[in-house]
Amino acid sequence: MKQRPPVLQGLLVALFVAYMILPIIATYTFSIATKWDITLMPEGYTLEWYQTAFDHPYFSITLTNSFIVSIAAVLVGLLFIVPTTYWVHTRVPAAKPLLDLLMILPFGIPAVVLALALIRVYAFPPFARSPFLLISACVIFSMPFMYRPISNSLMAIDVHTLTESALSLGANTLQILIRVIAPNILPGILSGSLLVFATVFAEFTLANLITGASFKTFPILLVEFTRRDGRIAAALSVISFTVAWFASIAILWVSGRGRKPTEEALGAR
Amino acid sequence: MIPWSRSPHQKISAWLGVVPFLAFCLAFEIVPVLLLLSGSFSDKNGAFSLGNYAKISAPIYVRSFWNSIQLSAITAILGASLGLLFGYAIFRLPAPRVREALIALSDVTTNFAGAPLAFAFIVILGSNGVVTLAFEKYLALKLYPTFSIYSYSGLVLAYLYFQLPLMILLIIPAFAGLRREWWESAHNLGANTIQYWRRIALPILTPSLIAGIVLLFANAFGAYATAWTLGGSNITLATIQIAFTITGEVLHDPGAGDALAVVSLLIMGVCIAIYQFANSRARRWAR
Repeated sequence: MKQRPPVLQGLLVALFVAYMILPIIATYTFSIATKWDITLMPEGYTLEWYQTAFDHPYFSITLTNSFIVSIAAVLVGLLFIVPTTYWVHTRVPAAKPLLDLLMILPFGIPAVVLALALIRVYAFPPFARSPFLLISACVIFSMPFMYRPISNSLMAIDVHTLTESALSLGANTLQILIRVIAPNILPGILSGSLLVFATVFAEFTLANLITGASFKTFPILLVEFTRRDGRIAAALSVISFTVAWFASIAILWVSGRGRKPTEEALGAR
Repeated sequence: MIPWSRSPHQKISAWLGVVPFLAFCLAFEIVPVLLLLSGSFSDKNGAFSLGNYAKISAPIYVRSFWNSIQLSAITAILGASLGLLFGYAIFRLPAPRVREALIALSDVTTNFAGAPLAFAFIVILGSNGVVTLAFEKYLALKLYPTFSIYSYSGLVLAYLYFQLPLMILLIIPAFAGLRREWWESAHNLGANTIQYWRRIALPILTPSLIAGIVLLFANAFGAYATAWTLGGSNITLATIQIAFTITGEVLHDPGAGDALAVVSLLIMGVCIAIYQFANSRARRWAR
């Protein structure tokens, strides 16, 4: 067991890193290449594709729309999940299995099915094909990512003692939640929020099927360009990857190494 | 002890605190999905009917499910086996810093799914992609037209990109659960490495492996963005067919869409149930 040949081990690790890194590096390079289709390395470098992308009328619209949906999903998610999780932890532990079940359900519902179900029910204004419906769908879709770190943070602190002390000092539930509990579970809140932000920002399926052309998001624009102009698609992909990198690095930085990444990985397939 | 939560009256009022969130889930998840279920068993006038399920026995739908199942099974099994291999190589790295960095890389890359990832694969493996060119130049190997990133073979490679790191994240805690003492005891009792793996390590890893395979399967089965970006309507998958009934690009039969969605939910449900069960078995060993 100990004497695994280090050469084989090194080779496997190198192969893995190459497979994971190569597509990303190639996309970054492609986005600044003048021409790269017959030679092994680009023939020259330019920022022209970024300029063209920025000048496209839909660039800032879709980027803004994606930020609106992502931030709204984070806020709505926080508003529901932080108080509910705290409440269940302290006052109705009997509801914990129900909460856990609700947080597993989204994994079992493919995004296309969720979109179909919502479009059927909310076919009337002001909901039909609206950003509100998209935001609600994104909250449902991403809530396990918000719940897990918050629930873990709550379990790591002594919620009962904190709550009791605050109560004995005359605080009400809202004050306890905002001024005592929230600061104590801040790492969980932050990493949950970043994870939801990154997931929703990259969400193509729900946006394309629920709002589509009436409220285009950044990934919709990206997919359109993969069919029209690869170099601009590359520039947009780089922007998308960079947002994901920043969010991921922030999450790693905020939460250290204590979290379980398994369930969080089921993102924007 | 918490003073409230004592009397039955207060217990009921405590449950009221869960109501807003529950109402949100009911409104935007549970009720719509249940209506989808009932819709799949109704005809156009709302009477009970199996007509929608008869419709989806048409060859195109059967093929889409079969393709989805094949693609999910291939990428789940490949992802799980390679993930086991790579995961073990990473787990056994002597430098904890490098190990942590690689786990972090898996963590980040498994979130790099969807449209940008699909495009990244076009950049490297499209007909003029850098890897395609390198194969031709250095290995005199023409990938096209045998292989194409826009076809099922390309989808397998692109899906593995998010399947592989997910498996690594799942399996490393299981490796950490293999205690040194077990290897030492086995060794002292005369077991060699192969016997140790066959009789001790693999049986302990089996629940984690099964959990990994079904989770990867579900992960691939529900995927849409990657396949749609790469193949568009040339690819026939269950999720793509369901999306068509929404966008109305090929056909517009709401009933068939409902039935397709319900069958997909059933497949996903079975996967998640097996995952939950296998995972609870695996947790007995994982540290």
